[in-house]
Amino acid sequence: MAAGSEHVVPEVEGMLDRAMRLLTAPAGLRWRGVLRTLLALGATIGVFALLIQLLGASPWAAMKAMVTGSFGNQLNLGNTIMIASLLALTGLAAAIPFAAHLWNVGGEGQMWFGAFVTVGVALTLPSSLPHWLFAPIVVVLAMLGGAAWGLVPGVLKAVINANEVITSLMMTFVAIEFANWAIDGLWPQGASNQTANVPGNSTLPNIWPGTFVTAGAPLAVAAVVVAWVVMARTKLGFEIRAIGLNANAARMNGMRFGKVAIVTFSLAGAFAGLAGAIYVLGIFNALSAGYSTSNFGYLGIAVALVARLNPAWIIPSALMFAFLRVGSNGLQAETALSPTIGEILVATLVVLLLAFRVIRLRYAEAAQ
Amino acid sequence: MATLENPSAGPGPGQSAAAAATVRMRGITKNYGETVANSGVDFDLHRGEIHALLGENGAGKTTLMNILFGLVLPESGEIWVGDDQVALPGPQDAFGRGIGMVHQHFMLVQRFTVAENVVLGSVRPWNVKLRRHRIERDVRSAAERFGIALDPRAKIRDLPVDTQQRVEILKLLYRGARILILDEPTSSLGPAQIAGLFATLRELRDAGHSIVIVTHKLGEVMQIADRVTVLRAGKNVLSVAKGGFDERTLARAMTGRELEGLPPKTRIGDTAPLLRLRDLVVHAGTRLHAVHGVSFDVQAGEILGIAGVEGNGQRELVDALAGVLKIESGEVIVEGKDLTAASPRDRHRAGVSVIPEDRHGWGLVLDMTVAENLALADVPAGRFSHRGLLRPRSIREHAKQLLAEYDVRPPDPDLRVLSLSGGNQQKLVLARELSRGPRLLIAANPTQGLDVGAAAYVQRRLIAVREAGNAVLLVSHDLDELFKLADRIIVLYRGKVLYESSIGSVSMDELALAMAGRAPGEGVRADPELVEIAEMEAER
Repeated sequence: MAAGSEHVVPEVEGMLDRAMRLLTAPAGLRWRGVLRTLLALGATIGVFALLIQLLGASPWAAMKAMVTGSFGNQLNLGNTIMIASLLALTGLAAAIPFAAHLWNVGGEGQMWFGAFVTVGVALTLPSSLPHWLFAPIVVVLAMLGGAAWGLVPGVLKAVINANEVITSLMMTFVAIEFANWAIDGLWPQGASNQTANVPGNSTLPNIWPGTFVTAGAPLAVAAVVVAWVVMARTKLGFEIRAIGLNANAARMNGMRFGKVAIVTFSLAGAFAGLAGAIYVLGIFNALSAGYSTSNFGYLGIAVALVARLNPAWIIPSALMFAFLRVGSNGLQAETALSPTIGEILVATLVVLLLAFRVIRLRYAEAAQ
Repeated sequence: MATLENPSAGPGPGQSAAAAATVRMRGITKNYGETVANSGVDFDLHRGEIHALLGENGAGKTTLMNILFGLVLPESGEIWVGDDQVALPGPQDAFGRGIGMVHQHFMLVQRFTVAENVVLGSVRPWNVKLRRHRIERDVRSAAERFGIALDPRAKIRDLPVDTQQRVEILKLLYRGARILILDEPTSSLGPAQIAGLFATLRELRDAGHSIVIVTHKLGEVMQIADRVTVLRAGKNVLSVAKGGFDERTLARAMTGRELEGLPPKTRIGDTAPLLRLRDLVVHAGTRLHAVHGVSFDVQAGEILGIAGVEGNGQRELVDALAGVLKIESGEVIVEGKDLTAASPRDRHRAGVSVIPEDRHGWGLVLDMTVAENLALADVPAGRFSHRGLLRPRSIREHAKQLLAEYDVRPPDPDLRVLSLSGGNQQKLVLARELSRGPRLLIAANPTQGLDVGAAAYVQRRLIAVREAGNAVLLVSHDLDELFKLADRIIVLYRGKVLYESSIGSVSMDELALAMAGRAPGEGVRADPELVEIAEMEAER
């Protein structure tokens, strides 16, 4: 091992921690925050329009295609709602630990492992189980799976103070291997790049005829409500907030950091695991390799930051990202631009939003 | 020191009347939104005097001096420097008039050397030929000229705080400042360091410099000021030369009312020790033996004062007793219970309360509400919740009661703590810690940064804890405070107890020497420079 490496790691960790603290700093006036978010959205659209112009397509047609593609008709609106449900859950998986200044960037892996458990349980249990029992069992076990995946970085943080950014990311790579194993080895479906379909008795029922909206959407909303109650009205939420805002004072006043780290990470993992279950049982009915390109878990971090870690703002934030994500599908179809254009769009928004926030915080610092 | 500029100058009040005012400020007014910072303030600074600008927090002292230094533009009023009426739209203009300011938080580049910092503001941006040896020579000769002992090659980050302050002062002198403004210059210094600073300031005054010290400490004003101006609520309420003021007049002018004296101490007879500390050893990160084998007892009904220059293990001692810093060896026993390895929560249960020195860093969560901060220790202990669900109404009720009892203003439980003044923030910590009914209260610099009124309130509360038959461990940089409150005093130096005495039989010489590292009756030479300053101080 190189002689200097043990000095580099803490320095990088320190930089990372400072950056995250800056991005999650408590906001003063929330309506101004919303205004700034909309401003960043406007700026994104401007930058994006310019980009499309440069690529030789019509920005106006592109925008129209995006709007139509995301909520122009019932079907597309339904898709946006389902993607928003996933993003709301992975958003919670980031927002709740972030509030305690625990940087869980492993929502992707926790969701993935939840999906792995979902497929495994759904294909293993007898498909003769009644629907009302089968689906809830699978969902609960998927949440436990996600929680177990979150537990690992939580326990490592609590016991040996291992950096949770690194451990939660590592766990994501392991979870991806589990999913690949499910697709290639455990439950393959012929030569196609996905697992066998889960039995119909285990799926989440459709609740809006004419669309693909399933019971997954209300489940996500319920999860957001639960998260709000936890953060605002429980002892655990009180301790999470106190630790995040001033860990020293929290300790001095008798709060146990290790316990809160473990519980918070498990809770985050459970939310991400629920996203995995909804993905399989409520959207695709199988686990497919294409999943890896969706990055719902990582996008959840952006959703949480835009929502300022406040569960009350998670749903609007998730809807905004879902609009961009689903809308860019329509855009590709309409303008024949490369599929990566959608990724660029989301990335532009994230960068601009965070830039706006950092600029504001810097001004606030300078004004003091 | 030669007095070229002002041959007639000498210390004392007589000279100020004869000398022409070098700075005259007339009718200075400045508002921040609804808040009146300065309202028609007149201020005169004479040549060759040390002028104390006294006032409580928020009285407008710093605003007035920021106006003189060009950092803040007044809404109305005139400033005269010498015979010219001037406008000072920026610090550069103030420097051009020979006015310099040392801020409470130093503006030094930590990685640069003393010499580099001193020349920093005077170097033109296009001067690319900075010769190290030349600037070092320049700075060394300047330091000698002004009688300020400094090594130009030392890096700022390696220097103690009082030396850094000397660098700040030299920086101003090097740039040709004749008028020095020092904002709360003693707030982070120990008594020996303060003596050193005052000696430097006296020399500069005798050389014809004019010095303004912004402060809220009466003792210092009595020690060093030739003249004093008192601000209250943005108005000049008193301007008087030495001989025309005593502590009582100044306190009355500052607060606008007669200060309540502290209740007389009633000596409580010997009781069983409530806190027993034996051979405590604490490491702080890479600093081994920050606390190096400390033993003492605190009786019930007693205030034990811990004196010492900042950074001699006081902080680590308090953190170890609070349970947030690991104890390497030794014993902490409170009322017969061994708390050496106990968690902060277990210590609370055993009757220990802590008022930490750094109330922003350790005492309060500034971004949470007043009510939440008052419940900060109760919630994790299981109070105010039922099956994990909080009871916000009882938290608010509890807070309202404490806000009234401790006279916190404004008494609004839903306000974020951030928006409260320092004194009221400290009252919150006090309310939370005392409402637990502690048997042992550990208070670290509990009046630091508070104005006179708030400080007196905190002190009365500490005495009340003692009078109720509990024990108080009071760590303070402020010797006056220790003498006022403590029954016994010990001195910490480099993590060891070097001196211990009951307050009635303290020898000031031995105390000062112990603070500088020399144990009484021993020839331990630890810090030659500090010993020298302490000896000077003892002679005075």
